Amino acid sequence: MSSKSLSLRNISKRFGNVIALDNFNLEVGVGELVALLGPSGCGKTTALRVVAGLEHQDSGTVLVADKNISDVPAHKRNMGMVFQAYSLFPNLTVEENVAFGLQMRKVSKHVRLKKAHELLDLVGLDSQSKRFTHQLSGGQQQRVALARALAFEPEILLLDEPLSALDAQVRVNLREEIRRLQLSLGTTTLFVTHDQEEAMAISDRVGVMNNGVLEQIDTPDVLYNKPASSFVAGFVGTMNRIPAHITDGMVEIFGSKVVALKRGNETGKVHALIRPESISVAAATAQGNAKVLTRSFMGASSNIICQTADGTIVQSLMTSASTGDLLPGSSVQLRVLSSEVLVTNV
Amino acid sequence: MAKGIKIRFRPALAATLLILGFFVFVPMISAFEYSIRTPLTGGYGWTHYIWAVREEDFFHYILRSMWLAGVTVLITLFVLVPTLTWLHLSNSKVRGLIDGLSLLPLVIPVVAFAVGAQISFPEFVQNTVLELPFLYFVLALPYAFRSLDIGLNSIPLKTITEAARSAGANWLRTITTVIVPVIRGSVMATIALTFALSLGEYTLTVLLHWDTFPTWVTYVAQDNILGAIAISMMSLIIPFLILTVITLFVPERSTQGRK
Ligand SMILES: Nc1ncnc2c1ncn2[C@@H]1O[C@H](COP(=O)(O)OP(=O)(O)OP(=O)(O)O)[C@@H](O)[C@H]1O
Ligand SMILES: [Mg+2]
Repeated sequence: MSSKSLSLRNISKRFGNVIALDNFNLEVGVGELVALLGPSGCGKTTALRVVAGLEHQDSGTVLVADKNISDVPAHKRNMGMVFQAYSLFPNLTVEENVAFGLQMRKVSKHVRLKKAHELLDLVGLDSQSKRFTHQLSGGQQQRVALARALAFEPEILLLDEPLSALDAQVRVNLREEIRRLQLSLGTTTLFVTHDQEEAMAISDRVGVMNNGVLEQIDTPDVLYNKPASSFVAGFVGTMNRIPAHITDGMVEIFGSKVVALKRGNETGKVHALIRPESISVAAATAQGNAKVLTRSFMGASSNIICQTADGTIVQSLMTSASTGDLLPGSSVQLRVLSSEVLVTNV
Repeated sequence: MAKGIKIRFRPALAATLLILGFFVFVPMISAFEYSIRTPLTGGYGWTHYIWAVREEDFFHYILRSMWLAGVTVLITLFVLVPTLTWLHLSNSKVRGLIDGLSLLPLVIPVVAFAVGAQISFPEFVQNTVLELPFLYFVLALPYAFRSLDIGLNSIPLKTITEAARSAGANWLRTITTVIVPVIRGSVMATIALTFALSLGEYTLTVLLHWDTFPTWVTYVAQDNILGAIAISMMSLIIPFLILTVITLFVPERSTQGRK
């Protein structure tokens, strides 16, 4: 297998006054798919371009299989790349596009076209191989770009928001396809996206970036349930921030005491971070502690938005079966379902 | 892009074409008619053409002018394609400046070029006819620059270049196998403009005391004006045929969304 591990060590990169990467560190194992997730402008694309050699870091090293490649030019790095914008060569047919990398590696025409057809078959486009790229839909073009990036068996596959220009349905299909291909070929992959659902759905690990640093990198599961910082907690999934007060390591939420999980030295007034699915809403028998604002039905589950007596907006996610009598305006009783909650300073 | 465009009668366009056609074709047709007159017998014939082809220097000068034009085309492409690609990719402010500089040959009198060349070029350059292509290149610069600039503007240059490089193409191959074929139309226009301009250049050539096809035609015209017109007609047709052949031999590919 040609796949290799990838390490970024203490990478810094600035553009004028903007610090795009600030002592950035990342390790990707052989055959692993790591997504880089973060808000716009946090440096995701820059990190990817530094790996590809399209941008050069101001300091730090890029290692592939523990070999420093910082001074290797882009065309010798043997990395497949798929761009956000459509990037196929308009003067070449689909099969010639896919065979391009092999052509540059002086592989004979017969062999490279055979390989191109193999890859086109994998992305389900073999029937389109003689067409020109402007005759394809956006989703098809990105499939061809993916085939082109994989045809020369790259050591590392780099994807920069390859799905963001596509329709929702195509996006979901294609991301599953990328994962399937990546698993079957075992290619080490770095996938940049700002869509957390996409990142969580197909990655082995997700790295959350903010302001040029990696805040946390973990499996989607750990990231969701044990966010390392308030930023990660807020960025990944929906999170309620409920004002509370710490006394003896406990916080009182909706009238019941739960253990406060501290990240640092939080004391006194804090925000408790609680996922919507960890809050239950029940019709109040007597005087409740909140009022229902809206209830949105989403099939198996429903989203209930309430407002507590002190004005805090609280979101709850419950199975639809138990929400029948929660009409907007009705008085309800909120409850925390977990025995411990994350807290952060206000 | 081309899909769905219907041919409609547009008066403004028709008028423009008509006026253009008048100024281009009427003189050409008249010249042709004039060149096939045979005053001695009063009818029409190919006398002057036969005379021209039999003139011993005819082929010498037309070949010389053509290879000089060819060298000019090569210089133009070798200098401009990489330079413009770099200017477009670096996105620097220098681009505006160079854009402006490229127009200077339009306003600087040719005499100034000739004098400048004689003062500044080293002796060994002035001793060879190869100084001409470099000067022709400068004269054609305003047109060649613009034509390539338009081509590069019309494509997503940055993404395509980066895609080529990450797929393993070095700069040279990126330019030759990706950029040039993608802006093929502009490149062909640049070749045609530069070739035609070099082939017809007269003033600078005379001022520098070189003999090329246009200067030779002027020379023989002193003795045989009808023969000179016949030669000019041929010099119009020959490059046209050559360019057509070049166009036919470059494989037809679909570019920039056109088919
Ligand atoms: N070529 C450049 N010149 C100047 N500034 C740049 C350049 N490339 C990136 N930047 C800046 O560096 C920062 C990080 O950019 P980057 O493109 O890496 O962000 P990103 O996380 O990919 O954002 P997005 O999700 O919007 O694509 C941004 O503030 C951006 O403006
Ligand atoms: Mg980006």
